Amino acid sequence: MSRIIDTVLEELSVMLCRMGKLTYETVSLSIKGCLNGTSVYSQVHEMSDALVSMSDQAEDKTFELIARFQPVASDLRTIKSYMKIAYDFARYSRYALDISYINEQFGGLKECEEWISEYIEKMSEKVLNMVRSSVDALRSHNTQLAKSIAKTEEEVDKMYSKYLDKLIEKAPATSKCTISSVLVVRYLERIADHATYVCESVIYLATGEKTTLR
Amino acid sequence: MMPIKIETKNLGVSFGEAKAIDGISMKIFANKVTAVIGPSGCGKSTFIRGLNRMNEIVGKAKTSGEVLLDGQNIYSEDFDVVELRRRVGMIFQKPNPFPKSIFDNVAFGPRIHGTHDQESLRKIVETNLKKAVLWEEVSDRLNKSAMDLSGGQQQRLCIARALAVEPEVILMDEPCSALDPIATAKIESLIRTLSQEYTVIIVTHNMQQASRVADYTAFLYLGRLVEFGQTKDIFENPKSEITEKYITGEFG
Repeated sequence: MSRIIDTVLEELSVMLCRMGKLTYETVSLSIKGCLNGTSVYSQVHEMSDALVSMSDQAEDKTFELIARFQPVASDLRTIKSYMKIAYDFARYSRYALDISYINEQFGGLKECEEWISEYIEKMSEKVLNMVRSSVDALRSHNTQLAKSIAKTEEEVDKMYSKYLDKLIEKAPATSKCTISSVLVVRYLERIADHATYVCESVIYLATGEKTTLR
Repeated sequence: MMPIKIETKNLGVSFGEAKAIDGISMKIFANKVTAVIGPSGCGKSTFIRGLNRMNEIVGKAKTSGEVLLDGQNIYSEDFDVVELRRRVGMIFQKPNPFPKSIFDNVAFGPRIHGTHDQESLRKIVETNLKKAVLWEEVSDRLNKSAMDLSGGQQQRLCIARALAVEPEVILMDEPCSALDPIATAKIESLIRTLSQEYTVIIVTHNMQQASRVADYTAFLYLGRLVEFGQTKDIFENPKSEITEKYITGEFG
């Protein structure tokens, strides 16, 4: 016999998976726009607002679950984790919006030398992979996949600090490029952080184990 | 290391051929609230009744193993049962005040144990009604019948009556199951306060009640102890799959 709480938990789970899909599309679009120098700001803005609104709805749903069902054990862990993940997804989308805004304000990375675009593209691929892995790990509650993200997070962190070192050694031709590229790598690094938070939440909800993947 | 008030070692109780509980080894820490949870018929009540030899009242009951109260086996031949039940008091599911006055209910135990001086009895009654958070509601009608009190007041009177003989441990067998939510909240708050002075063991069907009041929780299933641990751990991350299924309502 299924429990009443299962229906509401399922609704929340479906909502989170929809958020996951949209969040990946949002980050992906903003990065693409920035690398190609195309304007995607208004589109990303809409997607980001939708994600923030969905995050609020997910939070309301978790409160409803707590108030109505007094969840315990794996139910409680799931609810706590879903609430955190919904927030992380909203954060992904806000950083995506920030990236798309850089394109609007400073002309994105098209002002930059080729090595910079290539470097950031490589970093973006890693970050997008992390976003995808975090969404997939959530969908299947896959702890192995969640744990595997730690290595990429370390690589992204290294790429971030290495990029700053490189800029000191060899300044870009324009200030616009300096500002744009520094902000983009910074936001990418923050998105990667949130991807690890999502994976930590997946591990916690599935096993009860509180881990730090950073 | 937390002081242990009661330790059961391989405790088993049978009624005729039927084993109600089997092989329960558990430590109950002093001045903590321990909740015993589990589905109907899992042996919760039998277990706590085994902690002050109440099962002996049932003719066919046979107990095996040991129950150590401050290190002494309460089932050893030289252990005084009357003294045991003074040290380990019990509160039952349904409030069961004596058909006497409020005063006489609380004074009953001390009188049996030899206190007859009226002034001493008056002090005992006041102190324990205060401890049970009932004094303010009944101080002006101590000579009225206990039977006229509400269910929640009657249960607190029973707690005051149990406290009046200066116990060290209080066993509670579903003490709130006959009470409304307001009376339940008062008893739960009282349980927390009592644990500063006494060791409290509570049997409850209400999982939320266990999670609210207990420091430690034991889960019994089919007469055996499946899991024991800090309440936070049991309700957040139980180790056993059966515990998980029971507390999340998949069965029970």
